[in-house]
Amino acid sequence: MMDTKLLTLVGSGFAESLYMTFFATLFSYVIGLPIGLILAITSPEGIKPSREINFGLGAVVNFLRSVPFIILAVAIIPLTRLVTGTSIGSTAAIVPLVVAAAPLVARSVESSVKGVDSGVIEAARSMGATTWQIIKKVMLPEALPSLITGLASATITVLGFSAMAGAFGGGGLGAIAINYGYYRGQSDIMYVMVILLVLMVQIIQKIGDRMSVRVDKTIRESGSAAPEDNNTEH
Amino acid sequence: MADSINNIIQISGLRKVFSDGTKTVTALDGISLEVRQGEIFGIIGLSGAGKSTLVRCINLLETPTEGSVIVDGKDMASLNEADLLEARRKIGMIFQGFNLLQQRSALENVCFPLEIAGVKKEDAKVRAASLLETVGLGDRLDAYPSQLSGGMQQRVAIARALANEPKVLLCDEATSALDPKTTLQILELLQKINKEFGVTIVVITHEMKVIERICSRVAILAESRVVESGEVSEVFRHPKTSAAKQLIFPQGEKIETFRGGKRLLRLAFDGTTTDQPIVANMVLSCGEAVSILAADTKLIEGKTVGQMVLQLPENESAAERMLAYLDQENISYTEGE
Repeated sequence: MMDTKLLTLVGSGFAESLYMTFFATLFSYVIGLPIGLILAITSPEGIKPSREINFGLGAVVNFLRSVPFIILAVAIIPLTRLVTGTSIGSTAAIVPLVVAAAPLVARSVESSVKGVDSGVIEAARSMGATTWQIIKKVMLPEALPSLITGLASATITVLGFSAMAGAFGGGGLGAIAINYGYYRGQSDIMYVMVILLVLMVQIIQKIGDRMSVRVDKTIRESGSAAPEDNNTEH
Repeated sequence: MADSINNIIQISGLRKVFSDGTKTVTALDGISLEVRQGEIFGIIGLSGAGKSTLVRCINLLETPTEGSVIVDGKDMASLNEADLLEARRKIGMIFQGFNLLQQRSALENVCFPLEIAGVKKEDAKVRAASLLETVGLGDRLDAYPSQLSGGMQQRVAIARALANEPKVLLCDEATSALDPKTTLQILELLQKINKEFGVTIVVITHEMKVIERICSRVAILAESRVVESGEVSEVFRHPKTSAAKQLIFPQGEKIETFRGGKRLLRLAFDGTTTDQPIVANMVLSCGEAVSILAADTKLIEGKTVGQMVLQLPENESAAERMLAYLDQENISYTEGE
């Protein structure tokens, strides 16, 4: 195979993977973030406990999470056709990616928000904050470092799913790896794809970690430890 | 009623029952008390007495099962959602764990209740800065909670609780996480706020010294009920109930339940021993009480001379430890029935 041809192939695969991952992650959050918040606030220890809502929503999320991605993608082909008009290609792959990732995102958001100190939420309630104010001004900002870490994980999961989507016409690096590497026996191409995927995962993780630390005000810069009570107060 | 006008908080027949379907726990059982305008009122009790639930029934963080809570003329349980939120803005609260927003600076934390109340951002900042000045943190406006000591964090929390000019400040074990020196500083600050702003303060604590230091009146809570209440000096000088005695003389209860054994000990003091309080030290180091049956000792030129008869505890190993302690301290003794 010629080098330029290989480069074009890799370039378009890379672009397709990025495209699928970006939009699938974005829409997963559009759906998963509110669901995660609802799960957190309707839980028994939440600010608006509701057994019915929590149980119902939780059951749907658990159901979707327990179906393997490949099977889910095939099962929802009618939905994919309805939304995108086709069942082949990167845009079509976004639909099953979102259906599979949104429940993961919901659980990840739920656990980030539940990690916010309940005392801080109680303090906000004692000040007369409304439920919406608590969500907007307490839960989300206080959970931000954890939400960013969750976003990195979710993006990596979606990238992995998108490589799987390559096996049934989704395009991207996964498709190249399976078509050239497996069906044609060109294992060198497969290895290149694997290395590229690994690099992408590493980069996403690093960016996520960095951003999480940067926004987190509970992490002190070195050399500025909190003062002790006795020697600083007058 | 003439004197109910002066009561900013009026609690009558308050009951709170927690139930999780199978089990029910009565946290508060028929609590009635009133807090007067402008005073510092203490509520003291051992852990599990229901103090935290009681204070949360005042601003309705917990909904009373029965009874009424009237704060500044408003029957809290009867308010609709919007009026309740409005009423809470006039009741400040501080906590044992400070409960500051970790991702906000000191200034932004104090701005928080003002944002909630719809105060304009610039106005909120000016007010927050002046409140932080009041609590002695005028130079730490941009510090985050993780950069502040416990005492400083509680000061920020106090400034935050005062932001909406509350009439009442509820303090839930506000000094329990602080060392003794910082505790005193925070108590002094609360006193200053009480005087300068005329804020009525309700203090929940398990620590006697907090009540003694700043409260004018106190209610003692035990097993979900108010067992005693009144002026601090009166209640503390003449505690009537065993719960009150237990709080005021924490060691008292132990001695009442002293189970003496048969072994008696006659100690002889001949003036050669040191001026240490031998019996007290022995009791402290062995962790068991003794009963002094008879004592005839005199202080002669700073030396203790005489004898004392002690009844050793029933617990044999403690009794043996006491004998070993006396040997070690070179106190001569004889044992008898």
